[in-house]
Amino acid sequence: MRFLSYAWDWLKVPAQWHGSGGIPVRILEQLYYTGLSLLIAALIAIPLGILIGHTGRGAVLVVNLANAWRAIPTLGLLTLLAVTLGFSALAWLIPLVVLGIPPILVNTYEGIAGVEPELKDAARGMGMTSWQQVRKVEVPVAMPLIVLGLRTGAIFVVATATIAAYIGLGGLGRYIIDGLATDNYGEVAGGALFVVLLALAVQAIFVGVRRLAVPAGLRQQARQT
Amino acid sequence: MGARPEGHGVITFEGVTKRYPGGTVAVDDLNLEVPDGQTMVLVGPSGCGKTTTLRMINRLIDPSSGRILLDGQDIQQSDPPTLRRGIGYVIQQAGLFPHRTIEDNIGTVPLLIGWGKSKARDRARELMRLVGLDDSLARRYPYQLSGGQQQRVGVARALAADPPVLLMDEPFSAVDPIVRATLQDELLRLQAELHKTIVLVTHDVEEAIKVGDQVAIFRPHGRVAQVDSPERLLTAPADSYVESFLGFDRGIRRLSFLAASGLSLDDTAVISASLPAWEAAEQARRTGEPWLLVTGADQKPRGWVAADELRPLPREATAGDAQLRPYGHTFGVSTDSLRAALDATLLSPAGRAVGVDDQGRVVGVTSYERLGAAVEAGGPAAGPAGAAGAAGEAGEAGAAPAAEASHTGTA
Amino acid sequence: MDWQQVPTLVWESAKLGILPALFGLIISVPLGILCARWKWFYPPVLSGASVLYAIPSLALFVVLIPYTGLTDTTVIIPLTLFSLCVLIPNVVDGLRSVPEPVRQAATAMGFGQWRRLAQVELPISVPIVIAGLRVAVVSSISLATLGQLIGVSSLGYLLIDGYQRAFLTEILVGGGLIIALAVVCDLLLVLVRRMLTPWRPPRRRREQPEAVGDPVPALAGGTP
Repeated sequence: MRFLSYAWDWLKVPAQWHGSGGIPVRILEQLYYTGLSLLIAALIAIPLGILIGHTGRGAVLVVNLANAWRAIPTLGLLTLLAVTLGFSALAWLIPLVVLGIPPILVNTYEGIAGVEPELKDAARGMGMTSWQQVRKVEVPVAMPLIVLGLRTGAIFVVATATIAAYIGLGGLGRYIIDGLATDNYGEVAGGALFVVLLALAVQAIFVGVRRLAVPAGLRQQARQT
Repeated sequence: MGARPEGHGVITFEGVTKRYPGGTVAVDDLNLEVPDGQTMVLVGPSGCGKTTTLRMINRLIDPSSGRILLDGQDIQQSDPPTLRRGIGYVIQQAGLFPHRTIEDNIGTVPLLIGWGKSKARDRARELMRLVGLDDSLARRYPYQLSGGQQQRVGVARALAADPPVLLMDEPFSAVDPIVRATLQDELLRLQAELHKTIVLVTHDVEEAIKVGDQVAIFRPHGRVAQVDSPERLLTAPADSYVESFLGFDRGIRRLSFLAASGLSLDDTAVISASLPAWEAAEQARRTGEPWLLVTGADQKPRGWVAADELRPLPREATAGDAQLRPYGHTFGVSTDSLRAALDATLLSPAGRAVGVDDQGRVVGVTSYERLGAAVEAGGPAAGPAGAAGAAGEAGEAGAAPAAEASHTGTA
Repeated sequence: MDWQQVPTLVWESAKLGILPALFGLIISVPLGILCARWKWFYPPVLSGASVLYAIPSLALFVVLIPYTGLTDTTVIIPLTLFSLCVLIPNVVDGLRSVPEPVRQAATAMGFGQWRRLAQVELPISVPIVIAGLRVAVVSSISLATLGQLIGVSSLGYLLIDGYQRAFLTEILVGGGLIIALAVVCDLLLVLVRRMLTPWRPPRRRREQPEAVGDPVPALAGGTP
């Protein structure tokens, strides 16, 4: 396979594995950007999603967000921020977080809002306070969707981080962008290969997370859709 | 439409069994013949196999053993789509195609078998008129129609290609009772005009008795308890299962099948309003009647007058001048049943009901004695498992439906 | 800023947005029909599609370069694969949305399997499939801009050129046009749906335009 042979040619050079531009470093950088952004996005989006889902206020906003978001090009957002803010820590963190929020927010909202009214009734009938209701009933039931939101968010963030190399960010995207600029397809291929592997790994991690976080009964139910 | 050559709609079940993997027997060794041009109703509790039986006719389900003949031909020999295009099928939720107009829905089978679009649409309009749907609905879509209207479209659609056989699976269960009664009447009217072979499944025994020419009562697990005309079922149920299935007050319901024309009516208690009061009083004394029915010049009833109240009246007064009591409910002598006459008598304050002819003119009055005599003449209703030979012809009341050969299904 | 290029760029973006969705549709309909018919087929197909969907599009573009060079095709193929992730579930959901009494009635009237599919089930599925098309087209228009990074021309050019020259207006114009194009295409598809489905009851209140649920998340359409 041509692609793999290009990548291999580049990978087998030991120099790639050392130094500040080496593969391990870049991978760590990517993980760092992704992890931090996802964490911040989740810290914002999950509580917000729970609040909106539970109270129903602001739901219209969330719903329209889902549709509007698809139309906004990532590259546009990145270049816009880069030109207005210059390159700094904020320039890369903001778009990564901003792109991570919608999937987490929308899915969390849908998960909470989608909890059957009968369940909420039963919880209230048993004497739970609003907060207890959320914690003990709504969140567990919404777990499949919340995890799905996190998974999607992670994927988006990994992808955005890759592209952000264009505006100067490190990470695996660096190889792709630099390789394209210098016509070094081996480097491009190597970078792309790792990005693909990372994306698959992230997926696998979240399958594991799902297994841990989502009670078995709900997992089965969600699968039937 | 109209008269068809006889015999094309006979359906015969020969030893038909339907067994599902896992052991459930839905239909157990069914032998049944559906006569041509009549309505056969399959009725029974849930899970008794009546719907399965119906769906075997158009091969939506195939039997595990036994065979089914349509017009003498084994239906297994026809390829299902072709077979089904010659059989109309009506279901509870109508199943109208939401994406087609009403007229295109109705014209579905004609289009399928190759008629041109305009011919199919003309036919659709014809059928809309037949089932009582306004022409303006033709270009509408199903979502714009009410439940009752959708059901009518369903029936029209089933009749579009003029199939000899019509299958109906709980067609009226999903609509409210008033609409249901109207649709049942419409079905009877249609059948009187078209003479299709209809097999109808219902869980409502009243509906079965109302619309069926023949009714097959199913036991749980796919066996037939009795197949008979509604009248014979009510008169002579085959066993206690059938009797309890038919429900209580079977005796009174059976009276619906005895015609009121068999009643002998009393006309001595009927007087004209212009008759002088003293003559009326005389007549009352002679006949011993405490009440007399006063009629107008048109011979229509005006009210009851008490004999006691006639006597004190002045010499010149007529019967019509006396205080008249309401004459209550009437019943049609040639059109109504004994049950209607009994009902009218029960509701009448005088304990007598007024029988009228088609124009509403008084023919005579009943009494409980005369009713009793007519009921006895109609023949005793047998208890279960004792089908007396006397059950059958309704004696003087000749208008009862022609008696079919009594047929008790495999028990 | 060179305004003369803009119409060409808009046309390029439109092409790169619509073609993947169209090809995706052509593949999804037969696949979706099979998935709806053979229940065991659906999960693996869906899993396969979602794995692809999770891979950043830039990486996928790059993977194809040795095979298709730096042409439109390099962008169209991955975007088509992404659109499958939305369209296949929509085709399946569309077919499943056909009410059971309608399907039964069609069979009972003598429709064969294929005729029923063509004349009854697929037409009824149209609204849901179009909902999926809307997602696919809008996402593709947005994702196609990334192709500019490997030299495939689209409105993304304005974004990159604006960045390189630190020219904010150009970026804003580029971004604005991309969004406008997406909105126009979305509205056109709504119009198409209205024309194709006069039989639908008027919508009283729409929460969201039939966004596909599990397993494709609410913001499906491909990863940037």
